[in-house]
Amino acid sequence: MTAVDVHAFADTSLTEPTLTEPTFTSLPAHAEELRRLVREFAQTRLRPAVRRLDEADAADFDWELVTEAHQLGLTRLVIPRHLGGLGYGELGVAVALEELAAVDAGFALIFGATMLGQAPLLLSGDAGVQARFLPLFAGDDPVLACNAITEERAGCDLLIPEAAEHAIGVTRARREGDHYVVDGAKMFITNGKVAHYGTVFANLEGHPGASGLTCFVIPLDAPGVTRGAVADKMGYRACLGTELQFDGVRVPAENMIGGEGGGVFINIAQMNMARAAVAAIATGVARGALDLAIAWCDERVQGGKRLREHQFTARKLAEMAAKVEASRLMYLRAAHLADTRVPAPVFETATAKLFADRIAIEVAEEGMSLMGARGYVRDWGMEKYLREALGSRIYEGTPEVLALAVTDAIYTEDDGDF
Amino acid sequence: MSTYTTREQAVAVFSHLFEIMLRDETFTSTMRRDGLSVRFVHTAPEFEMYVDPDGVRIDDSPATAALAIKMSCDTAHALWSGHLLMPVAVAMGRIRIKGSVAKVIEFAPLLQPAFDRYPAIAREAGVAA
Repeated sequence: MTAVDVHAFADTSLTEPTLTEPTFTSLPAHAEELRRLVREFAQTRLRPAVRRLDEADAADFDWELVTEAHQLGLTRLVIPRHLGGLGYGELGVAVALEELAAVDAGFALIFGATMLGQAPLLLSGDAGVQARFLPLFAGDDPVLACNAITEERAGCDLLIPEAAEHAIGVTRARREGDHYVVDGAKMFITNGKVAHYGTVFANLEGHPGASGLTCFVIPLDAPGVTRGAVADKMGYRACLGTELQFDGVRVPAENMIGGEGGGVFINIAQMNMARAAVAAIATGVARGALDLAIAWCDERVQGGKRLREHQFTARKLAEMAAKVEASRLMYLRAAHLADTRVPAPVFETATAKLFADRIAIEVAEEGMSLMGARGYVRDWGMEKYLREALGSRIYEGTPEVLALAVTDAIYTEDDGDF
Repeated sequence: MSTYTTREQAVAVFSHLFEIMLRDETFTSTMRRDGLSVRFVHTAPEFEMYVDPDGVRIDDSPATAALAIKMSCDTAHALWSGHLLMPVAVAMGRIRIKGSVAKVIEFAPLLQPAFDRYPAIAREAGVAA
């Protein structure tokens, strides 16, 4: 098991904008400033649009709000400064995503999915592919990305090393001279409808299963790419998940990331890296539900006193608040470790997501209970938090997949001081 | 059987590799500009190698290295020979790195010449490919 480092926040946090270390009581100055900026945007610009985003047609997309968020830097948070990014690392990303998700988790995921699409390029260590693609996210207009791995017959197998041999991919890549030709289909691809670039995983012809999985960066306006229908989701409606079809798409060989057969390793690394951010989104959902419940319990009078003055209600609110605090500490620590360890530690990142997913559902459910009928009515907003909490549990590792990762880490020997 | 049979042989090859790297002005000036220093923790056989723009030090690492990279000498051999890709090695836990991921992202592309140089250096030292 990876050693639990109780001094993690006092350890070296060397995210690019500053060397200031996070502590148990405060964020580094750069992350605190980012949080303030994103919170202001979320409360003043995003909040008034939440109902519209939630009720819009599944295929609608608000480029205007996305452009404003892009101008805040949300599409380039993890890109290094020398490539035009802001170099915040996972800690900054996670803090920003909590702020967005406390208002609208779907909107937060637009940027989370973009970072997931950027992650393979960052993890590759390939200066050429980084220089060709990452600066594109720093222009005047927003550029979005997606990560395309899930298929009709392949999903979680690719996240569990011991199951990887059973992952049968449909999407194929075959080498033709200085290109690869990609054929196949992906599904449930967040940002698939709107992304400009995708990191797409395909099996080399003749190599089914994880051993042949290879990652390519593909401009989604390339000939042969077709974007399918948008999934009509229960929650997270501000971001669009679609199928992506690849028919004879020619990809230059230099757009391969991590080498032939390196896709499974890129995927595992990016999942470990991304889980802190996903835990932050779930924590944001829980916080949004908590804030709504706090306001309601302060306003609503029953039995001659405010709801929060009733002992049973106070107990519920206190438990909800404790869960949000614990979840935030877990994702902050996981994000810090993801910024300072390669590979990102499995135990801390997977437990952070496992916990955040669960408490988001519990807090939203309690919030709904506290608000009674109003909690069940769309006008009041609480039911949306519950819908989104249920969605958080599914993507980037279900509880079942996370449990396997966590227990595997528990039973894995640590190698001492490293 | 291990690629490196003695500690002396491993020290000689890996230190020579980075001494050559440090003769490259781009490598050295980028390390200096970005404050990069690396503590390589090699196992089987065990030794530590500290690399900063001023040189290579063996078993004399300051506690302040920007990055610490741990791998076995077999893994190092496979990596620098081009038989093992960095993302694969990292995901499999065969290479573990402590320090800022932002620094790792800056440092990794600088290492490209090491892949070109290593096979000849290893061969000259009598290390089997």
